[in-house]
Amino acid sequence: MFAYYFKLGLRNLRRNPALTALMVLTLAVGVAASVSTLTILHVMSGDPIPHKSDRLIVPLIDNGQLQGYAPGDKPDDDQISYRDAMNLLASKQGIRRTAIMGTGGAIEPERKDMPSFAATGLAPTRDFFAMFDVPFLYGQAWSEADDRAGADVIVLSRKLAEKLYGDVNPVGRRVRYNGFDFQIVGVIERWNPIPRAHRIIGKGAFDDEDELFVPMASATRHEWFNNGSTTCFDDRGPGYQAWLDSECTWIQFWFELNTVADRPALQHWLDAYAAEQRKLGRLKRNAPNKLYDVMEWLAYQKVVGNDNKLSAWLAFGFLLLCLVNTIGLLLAKFSVRAPEVGVRRALGASRREIFHQFLTETAVVGLAGGVLGLLLAWGALALIALQSKQLSLVARMDWTMLLTTFVMAVAAAMLAGLLPTWRACQVTPALQLKSQ
Amino acid sequence: MEFRPILSSLLRNRTGPLLVAVQVALSLAILANALHIVSVRQAVVSRPSGVERESDIFHVRVADLRGGGTFNEVLAGQKRQLELLRAVPGVESVAQTNQVPLSQSGNNTGLAADRRQIRPTTGASFYVSPDSLVKTWGLKLVEGRDFLPTEVLDIDTRTSTEQAKIAIVTQALAQKLWPDATSYVGRTFYFGTGDTAEAARVTGVVERLQSTSAELGERGEMSLIMPMRRVGEPRAMYTVRTEPGQRERVIKEVEETLRKDANNHVMIRPKTFDADRKDRYRADRGLAWMLVTVSVLLMLVTASGIVGMASLWVTQRRKQIGVRRALGARRIDILRYFILENVMITSAGVAAGLLGALALNHLLVSTLELARLPAGYLVGGAAIFLALGIAAVYGPAWRAASISPATATRGVV
Repeated sequence: MFAYYFKLGLRNLRRNPALTALMVLTLAVGVAASVSTLTILHVMSGDPIPHKSDRLIVPLIDNGQLQGYAPGDKPDDDQISYRDAMNLLASKQGIRRTAIMGTGGAIEPERKDMPSFAATGLAPTRDFFAMFDVPFLYGQAWSEADDRAGADVIVLSRKLAEKLYGDVNPVGRRVRYNGFDFQIVGVIERWNPIPRAHRIIGKGAFDDEDELFVPMASATRHEWFNNGSTTCFDDRGPGYQAWLDSECTWIQFWFELNTVADRPALQHWLDAYAAEQRKLGRLKRNAPNKLYDVMEWLAYQKVVGNDNKLSAWLAFGFLLLCLVNTIGLLLAKFSVRAPEVGVRRALGASRREIFHQFLTETAVVGLAGGVLGLLLAWGALALIALQSKQLSLVARMDWTMLLTTFVMAVAAAMLAGLLPTWRACQVTPALQLKSQ
Repeated sequence: MEFRPILSSLLRNRTGPLLVAVQVALSLAILANALHIVSVRQAVVSRPSGVERESDIFHVRVADLRGGGTFNEVLAGQKRQLELLRAVPGVESVAQTNQVPLSQSGNNTGLAADRRQIRPTTGASFYVSPDSLVKTWGLKLVEGRDFLPTEVLDIDTRTSTEQAKIAIVTQALAQKLWPDATSYVGRTFYFGTGDTAEAARVTGVVERLQSTSAELGERGEMSLIMPMRRVGEPRAMYTVRTEPGQRERVIKEVEETLRKDANNHVMIRPKTFDADRKDRYRADRGLAWMLVTVSVLLMLVTASGIVGMASLWVTQRRKQIGVRRALGARRIDILRYFILENVMITSAGVAAGLLGALALNHLLVSTLELARLPAGYLVGGAAIFLALGIAAVYGPAWRAASISPATATRGVV
């Protein structure tokens, strides 16, 4: 019976074409609006590294000034000082640990036909690659000895390697970056997790790929400053060593734990560390020391902005309006068919069957709205992606969202169809037949 | 007036009118808030930066890749680059600077009116230039004077943390530091608080200069300029004003000139003021566009709902209309009946919508930190939907009025 009702529903789309078109269009627009904003929200609030996001931990020690501080205030910066970073690296806590600073500068290609160009990347420690599952195309991460020595070794992104060397494996070659020759030890495969939890501060959660990686010890040995956000309060002296010794905060730190159960131990260790530093006269605020796993960190950094939430809310309000509209239009469409219902009922159809038929017809409208809504959402996302690089990263349709669109459209239409369908079932056969 | 019979007829057949009223209420609640947000963002986007003729301004970052050299060598190189830039035809004015407004990246510093304060009074964007930013950017001096060339300090950041002792501040910054004063030149302020905070004296006040981030509210106009050049690494940034319409050509020539001067061992990155502005406000523009689109669609959907329902009612009542016409009702009476009926439904929707708009706004204010809705948007939104309602029902009502009295006698449903 369902197949027959379905066919009837399809045929009935042609009846009252203006009304039907209006219904399908209204549904489609409502669905498209909510699906496109939901997709963006969904991608933005995604987990960039699901299988270990609860084991990657950011430690945060409030290194702000005491002056004007009230207990409970948020720290002035969500990064840590060089001194704390070095101590945490030496701590042996967790199974892996890395400190990250930003680097940016000029690449001078060997090829004479290519002018020097700017490239940006990260200066982490070796563990970074394993901690964030960075995939390698050629070569591998640098060694621990390279980290210790601050060796001039470099890992390139695939895009940068191809720009410089084409398709060949460049491992072992030298590239001139920021005025120094670096030996290429690895090339990573395309890698840009969304959101970029590993370095939100200084570059943003939705930004370009990191183009290159050098050991942090190498960057500080060449006296490079952080390419990103830096917060300083105390008066530091001139020169690079004074900069490293200062309480300025500019480093992002990550621990990897073996199991989630190790987290209390890490917290305990961090509290003990901070207490010890306080005895040395540092960390004057005596604020609580925090640990954030990846998802907590994304929430704390407010990666999904208020504007995105606003858009999604409004889109759902709009969908609600479209549904109310559809109810009205369905009511209109079904009410002119009272005589038909009367005849069928008189011929022995039960209310249940009428209900099935009209609800199936509604589902057909929903399906049509869904297909059209999907096309519209796809177009809307393409338009949104054109706006900026950041948006092009998040305005992407995936299968989950595709399926959601359909389910939403059909469910919404059927929900809207319940009242008109129920109304249609209430037709009294005798009255209808008499009036004919 | 036919008010009472229409009302009782509406009350007998509630579902349809209720649906229309709900649509109007929902649309009004969303529309009033959406338009308000759009106008707030529009106001943000169109704030003046303080820079005159922005479309003739660009900046260029230059990094010398041949390595550092001594302080004097780097300094000489930067001075030479300035001369080269000034010699490019079409260039009106050039100033070396550390940062530019709206670029979303730069130096900020905490300032206090008094060393003994517990916290700094405000943060401000910290512009430094050995040349005249007032001239190059066309800033408007409202008090005091621009820096003299003799006041410029050249500082080696590798050995010194010295800084200039005089500054030009924006009016907003001066008012923030000294709320009760009417004149600011000669006053002293401090970088941070405490005994070691560096002091500086105001020599000039400019009407306006936005900060690098152009934050919302007064913070966006907290800026100061100091006459100094900080030399550490062999890289510099210059901001250039060109003759009107010459910018694109000048950018190309500037690039060529600098590249030739450094024998290609140089990295040059130009960017126009407009591009910085566009990047800064991209999100605001994007949201505004989306809200405008949603608003237009809201009105279309609501209008289509009213047309659809009104058409249905006309069809259902063909017979009654025919009878009324046969009994002497004029066309205008039928037209008036439907329009009045619709006005009643829409009014109920508008009333609910006003409450809905306030409730939605309350939600937005409390959870998403948005601004409170001014009453004007409620009045405007209500007027829009009343007008929309009448316009949408006019077609079906006119068709109803055209039904001939004979329809009733023929007995066709």
